[in-house]
Amino acid sequence: MKPADLDDLDRPWRTWASLIIGGMLAFSIVMGFVVIPVVQGYGAGIDPFTAICRAVGLVPGSPSTRQPTSAAKAEPTTQVAWSTQLLRTLSRPTDMGAVVAEGCVACHGQRGIASDPQNPNLAGQSAVAIYKQLHDYKTGSRANDIMTPIAQTLEENQIRAVSVHFAAANRRSLDPTTAEVVDEDIVRLVERGDPARALPACNSCHGFSAGGPIETPTLSHQNREYLARQLRAFRDSSRRNDIYTRMRSVSAKLTDREINRLAEFYATTLQY
Amino acid sequence: MAVSEEAILRSELRWTIVVTGTITVIMVAILYAGIVHHINPPSNIETVDPKTLHLTGEFTEENLGTSIDAGGQITARMVATQFAFQPQCILLPANKRVTLRFASPDVIHGILVTGTNVNTMIVPGYVSQVHTVFTRTGDLLMPCHEYCGLGHSQMWATVRVVPEAEFKPDGSGRALCDAR
Ligand code: HEC
Ligand code: HEC
Ligand SMILES: [Cu+2]
Repeated sequence: MKPADLDDLDRPWRTWASLIIGGMLAFSIVMGFVVIPVVQGYGAGIDPFTAICRAVGLVPGSPSTRQPTSAAKAEPTTQVAWSTQLLRTLSRPTDMGAVVAEGCVACHGQRGIASDPQNPNLAGQSAVAIYKQLHDYKTGSRANDIMTPIAQTLEENQIRAVSVHFAAANRRSLDPTTAEVVDEDIVRLVERGDPARALPACNSCHGFSAGGPIETPTLSHQNREYLARQLRAFRDSSRRNDIYTRMRSVSAKLTDREINRLAEFYATTLQY
Repeated sequence: MAVSEEAILRSELRWTIVVTGTITVIMVAILYAGIVHHINPPSNIETVDPKTLHLTGEFTEENLGTSIDAGGQITARMVATQFAFQPQCILLPANKRVTLRFASPDVIHGILVTGTNVNTMIVPGYVSQVHTVFTRTGDLLMPCHEYCGLGHSQMWATVRVVPEAEFKPDGSGRALCDAR
């Protein structure tokens, strides 16, 4: 057979196949984007045009249900929102950092290591975490009689500078001889969490480069008294600046013993 | 070797029938799941800024949970965040049409409510919305089913479905698990 004949033979197949596929496409478009939305929308009191726009995806909502409305008044837990630009400045050291830090050494120590264990160490803390806490003190999201007035005197660029400054300092060195052997169940909480209580492992957020929320502070090498006090503050919601109750929901499930032992663990264990 | 045109045509026809049959079976299965079990792809395209989710409007902490609006529409709002749902329990009535709305401020999460047709991904930047009717009462488990980080396996919440008569929202139209 000559190629021209083959072409003739194929033509009816091609024509029919194209017609069937085209027909199915047209049918689906008319059914899915026009008939069904308009009929469903009619039942739900949605005008045909809106129903079609919703079905096509131009307007949010399903064509068969009224779109819920929200008259929410925003009561944010914190005013901080992470932008790329902000995160970039929190990785750049400036000369201003050391100057601002002079106002902090009395309580947080010369190099960010506090001599009074009630005060937190800032040395080696992540700049993002320090920034968020200072910003929260300043805006009132986190309240403390000592820190609130101090943070209120700082300008935004000073907060950024001092955060980077302390983040660059070396952490408190730990004495291997004082490292406490902590109970197995505490180590399990730190490393594995407790699925039955929907309690994620502390280290899934607090572990080194764990990939949890970026504002998560480093806990290791922190002071035990300070850690325990913060866990209690989260538990009774007197500290409530954690976005979406990340820490409040965790600490609400902890017992007093667990809080004390976890604080001890992070304050003395060398590993993390 | 010459194969007759007729033989080729017959063979083509046979295969056409096999392929058409296979596709028909698959389409019927999809239609059956869609129409009988109400399992459909999500149809809501609605964007929201994940960076400011906690700052503005609908998905601020205070506004999450179940609420009834003036028109009687029941909506439960939830945020999926590493590694917990907020709130960790939502209260809903049985045998009533309810709308679930989810958003994520960080990474992709996903949810399903066991024993129901509720199953959706929660992608940062979008609002995931599901309409459903719960027929079983009790505490239904709602795990995160999209790996979201090291704490993923401890990430689950509860959907508490109560008989309609026991579903009593407070004066502002809100209903919370622990308020019962
Ligand atoms: C008079 C003592 C004092 C001075 C001065 C002081 N702080 Fe503090 N700071 C504290 C105490 C006490 C806390 C713990 C407060 C709490 O429990 O909420 C704290 C907490 C903090 C925290 C929170 C740490 C965390 O891990 O959450 C940061 C950040 C901080 N201070 C930064 C600074 C900076 C920066 C300065 C200097 C500009 C400064 N502080 C000056 C006493 C002080
Ligand atoms: C879901 C992630 C997550 C998990 C899991 C988690 N944390 Fe946190 N934690 C955070 C975040 C985020 C913050 C900072 C909150 C804020 O924004 O103020 C924080 C803050 C803290 C603080 C206060 C530190 C400071 O410097 O002020 C302590 C103490 C703490 N967590 C202990 C724990 C312990 C112990 C566990 C395990 C039982 C745990 N966390 C599990 C995310 C988590
Ligand atoms: Cu998740």
